[in-house]
Formats: sequence, structure tokens, C-alpha cells
Amino acid sequence: MELDTSRLNTVTAVAIRGRVDSTTADKLRDHLTEIIGAGSARLVIDLKEVTYISSAGFRTLLITARSVDHAKGKLALCGVGGEVKRLFDIASFTELFTILPNRDDAVATVLT
Amino acid sequence: MKRPPDLVYAVDDQPPLAITLFNGLQHVGIIAINLIYPLVIFKMAGASVDTTVALLSVGLVVLGVGTFIQSARSPLGSGYMCPSTFTATYFSASMLAVKAGGLPLLFGMTAFAGILEGLMSRALSRLRAFLPTELSGLVVFMIGITAGVAGVRTMYGADASPVRGEEWLVAGFTLGVMAALNVWGRGVLKMLCALIGLAAGYSASAALGLFGAEHGASVAAAPWIALPRLMHASWSFDITLALTFAIASLAATLKATGTIALCQRMNEADWARPEPRSVARGVLGDGIATALAGMAGAVGTNTSTPSVGVAAATGIGSRHVAYATGTIFIVLGFLPKVTALLAIMPRAVMAAGLLFAACFIIINGLQVMASRLLDIRRTLTIGLAIIAGASVDIFPAIVAGAPGILAPLLASSLAFATLIALALNLLFRIGVKKTVTLNVARDVVGTTKISDFLHVQGAQWGARAEVISRASFAANQLVEAVAGNGWSDGAFTLEASFDEFNLDLHAVYPGIPMTFPDQRPTEREILEAGDGMSRLAGFMLRHNADRMRSESRGATAHIWFHFEH
Repeated sequence: MELDTSRLNTVTAVAIRGRVDSTTADKLRDHLTEIIGAGSARLVIDLKEVTYISSAGFRTLLITARSVDHAKGKLALCGVGGEVKRLFDIASFTELFTILPNRDDAVATVLT
Repeated sequence: MKRPPDLVYAVDDQPPLAITLFNGLQHVGIIAINLIYPLVIFKMAGASVDTTVALLSVGLVVLGVGTFIQSARSPLGSGYMCPSTFTATYFSASMLAVKAGGLPLLFGMTAFAGILEGLMSRALSRLRAFLPTELSGLVVFMIGITAGVAGVRTMYGADASPVRGEEWLVAGFTLGVMAALNVWGRGVLKMLCALIGLAAGYSASAALGLFGAEHGASVAAAPWIALPRLMHASWSFDITLALTFAIASLAATLKATGTIALCQRMNEADWARPEPRSVARGVLGDGIATALAGMAGAVGTNTSTPSVGVAAATGIGSRHVAYATGTIFIVLGFLPKVTALLAIMPRAVMAAGLLFAACFIIINGLQVMASRLLDIRRTLTIGLAIIAGASVDIFPAIVAGAPGILAPLLASSLAFATLIALALNLLFRIGVKKTVTLNVARDVVGTTKISDFLHVQGAQWGARAEVISRASFAANQLVEAVAGNGWSDGAFTLEASFDEFNLDLHAVYPGIPMTFPDQRPTEREILEAGDGMSRLAGFMLRHNADRMRSESRGATAHIWFHFEH
């Protein structure tokens, strides 16, 4: 799994590439926790290039959402399509997150 | 059933009367292009103009009846907006029959092919392994190529007269009108793009003097109203042509299968696989229509892929449009003057219509082929079959130099491509295991080994990509969850079994089965409970498969996942 982090105004966008499973979930969680801990609680997670996400990956997203809530920030997901969208649906996670079709919309949403 | 966003009228919808009638007329216009097949065949048989108009009138009634049989809700048809048409599928076989034994042999062999197709419809499910989906796609693709090439051939065929500059103008103008209305048109203009294009082509032909005095005379001589005459029908049978017509019948079966699958896709946004019952009914109806054609004195018919293609382009898929189409055909059978008018369609207009329709057929064929994972075996099967089919069209010397017994098969690019694909499909089944086993080590977690294994195997089986993805998730998530729960020593095996209808995974590992709850654990449980993540994994695994079960046998856990294919 590779993480690509960028800043857009006051928003931090993290693009994930590859598999989010039990072997990579800790790395993702630590990275996101560090960003939020540094005061960047307006967060966009781009899943466009995620090839596989397991229950460990979903748990990490929940942990991140809770951290963002505690920091009174905002979290939006984007790039949720194809197989990843199907997994969000079968995990009943689609309703738990703000999901936008692309990164620009996601950034605009967390800025409001 | 989820409705596709582009679908304006679904199969059960009833459009306004004007839309229904004009769309019916449009389909008649599209299908009228295929009148070229009986016209050429009757001409080759030496039939007089009067006999030709009489046979064509009977043929139009058969098309009307066939359209009703195919589109009505009954055990004898698919129930979709799927009109009947004369077809290129039987074209070359019919020409061989006419050469060998005149019209009686043509009609007898056509009836034989129709009966054969009806019989094949009863065995479709058993034949499915030998007629995989990509082969249906190949047949549709080749029919598209055949239709497009037939369009060019009307202008540049070996026996075609030199093309006049005005004909280029008419062909370009007709195709341009159809394409422009389809791409940029809205509402009725888009829906009736093919019909308006044909009318524009006729008008342009008249303006540029493409209709000769003999055309006007033949239309003027035909009566306005007359009963269709069956007096010309007589039948004979030639065993040496049986194989050629059997292959044409198989191609018609595959084409009908592909066309009805296209109808299903047009009406269902979440379409994943052909629904076998309506396909079998549709193939039966198609066979009945062809048998009727042979008995009444017409050439073979098939489901009209161009019509369904245009219906997909315009979003009008109501079966009421098919009823209108069928009614217009039957009425036309009683109007020889109109039949004569259709019979004088300028070749430039025919060419444009065939090219327009061919585009949609070709793309649909490609989409059907691409819906399956294609490994090297299937790549070779499809690629070599297409090259074989194209070669006999491009190089007539191949046909001329072929031994007599093979000549009938080589004379039709569609039949030859189908035969090559069938043979290679059979050959390449050698060595493909129905059941494969993977010994899973702990270090596969976090790698793509399991996914790669299933995708490679899925391509050998010709499985649908979506089903392999689901199976791949099941295997990966199970292994990950089991590893997370303290995988004790011992082998973890994963067995995958496939037939055309089912994909099954059977996992065996040391320990007790994990739990697969019906309800998703709450967010709090996922975050805070010790087994929260494992229960989420179990919940996802349960809902990812169509069916699953688990049991403990001694010291090992057995998990089965079933996926419908």
C-alpha cells in the first residue's frame, strides 16, 4: 500500500494506492492519526486506486472518522467505485461516511 | 429489476400510439434493408418479377407472424421487443441450396434448419459449456461485420455495376442523417433516426435520378391490394447440404441467444448474465419462424439484431412496438405496390442502412465477448475464428480452391468463423480442470497470490470477471480473518470448482470455523470489542456469497461459499 498526501487550502487529502488489509491497516491508521494530531482535521481520503479493502481497512476508516469527530473536523471519502463500492455496500458502510464522486467535490464538502 | 437510465420505454411499457407506430415503421424500415437477401436469392433462382413479389409478400407475412411469436408473452417466444428479419445467417447456405436444387430445395432446407433450431432451444442449457458466452458475442460480432461488408458489397460486390458519383452522395447523405440524428438529435428525431435517414435516402435518390424508368414501371404494375399467394411453395431435401444448414441454424441459435441477451441488458441496468428461460423460449420462437418461412416459401429468418441495436440507441424497448412492427409487416404482405417500392430500394440507401446498423451490432458483440475473462485459449479461439471468417470474405480464392465437401462451409464467413470457434473451444477444453486446489501459507496475507490464482483460473474457465472478484474477496478475507484469529499449525487448503452455472469455494483449515453473523456488528463493537473486526469480516463474507455454510469436522473447519454464475 502506498499513501500520497497533499494539502489543498486547509484540507489534507490522502490518496491510498493498493491493498488495505490487516498487513497495511496499522500503517494507514498511524498516518491518518498523525495528520489529525497535527491539527489537520479537515480530511479527504481518496480510495480511487484501492484494489482491495478488508474488514481491517473498514475498521481503520471508522477509527479515523471517530478521531476526526473528536477533533471537530470533517471527513469525506472519494473515488469509491467498482469493487470497493461493492464492498462498502455489503459491509453496510456506505451510509456511515460522506462519499463524494471526486476529490474536488470532497474538498469542497469538508471546507463548508 | 433496476431500470437503465437511458431506457425511455421498457419492455412492458406502453408508449403513446404515435411513438409506437412510428417506431414500428422505423423497425420495418431497418428490416426492409434485409429484403436484399431474399431478393438476391430469388433472382439467383431465376424467379420472375411477379413470382418475386408474390414470394416477398408471403415472406413479409411470415416476418409479421414471427415478430408476434417472438415478442408476445408466451412459451413460444422471448417476450422482448425483438422483431424477426430475413438474415445474412442463412444467406450463403440458401444460395448453395438454390444453385443445387432451386426454390424447392431452398424452402425444404430452410424448414429443416428451423426445426433444428427449435430442437436446439430445448438443449441450450446442456450445450452451454460448448456454447460459451464469448462465442455468442463472436457470432454477433461476425454478423455485424457481415452486415457492414454486405453494405459495402451492394456497391462494390464482384457482380455490382460501377458506382456513380450520385450514389456516393446518397449513401453519405443517408448515413449522415442517421448518424447526426442519433448523436445530436432529441426526442422523436433521435428515436426515428434510421427511418428518417431511409426516407431522406429515397428522396435524395429521386432528386439525383437514381430511380430508373423500370423502377417506376414495376411499382406502377403492382396492384395496391392482393392476397399473398402460397402457390410457389414446394419442398425438397438434400443430405449433402444438411451440415451447412445445421451450422447456419447453430449460428442463428447463437445470434438469437446474443440478441435476446441484448434485449435483457437493455431492460435491466444490473444485468449480469443471460436469463436462460427467455433465451430458450426466444430461440424456440426463432426456430418456429424459420420453419414457417420454409413451409410458406420464404428464406430463413432470425431475430433482428439491428432493430434491437436501434432500440438500444433510442431507448424504446416496448414490446408494443414489436406488435406494431409485426402488424405493419402483415399489412405490407397484402400491399404488393408497397412491397415493390421496398424492393427497389437504391443500393446506396441499403449500404448506408447496413453500415449504420452494423456499428451497433459490432459493439454489442465486443461487449458480450469482453464480459468474460479471456485467457490465452479463449483469445486464440476468438482471434483465429475472426481471422478465418474475415479471410474467406477477403480472399474468395480460398472458397474456390476448397474441396467440394467443405465449399458450403467456407462460402459463409459467419458459418466458417462459428465452426472454427466451436472446434477450438472443444480442443482447448483439454487440460482445463474443473476443480483446482491452492495450498495457502500464512505469508499470502497481504499479497495478491490468492487473487492471481483465481483470476488465472477464472480466465481458463471463461468465468465472469465480477464473479471471480467476489470469490477473490471471499478467499482473501477468510484467510486474513483466520490468520488474525491465531492460525494454528496445519494446512489451509482452498478448493475452487466451476461449471457454467456455479463457482464454489471450499476452504479447510485447522481450528474451529469463524462466525458469520447475519447482523453487522455496531460501530462501537467493531472498534472496541475483541472480536468486532472478526465479526465484521464474517458478516461481509456471508453477504458477499450467494450461499455459504460452515461446519467443524474434528480438528478442522470447513467453509463453503457458493456463487451463481
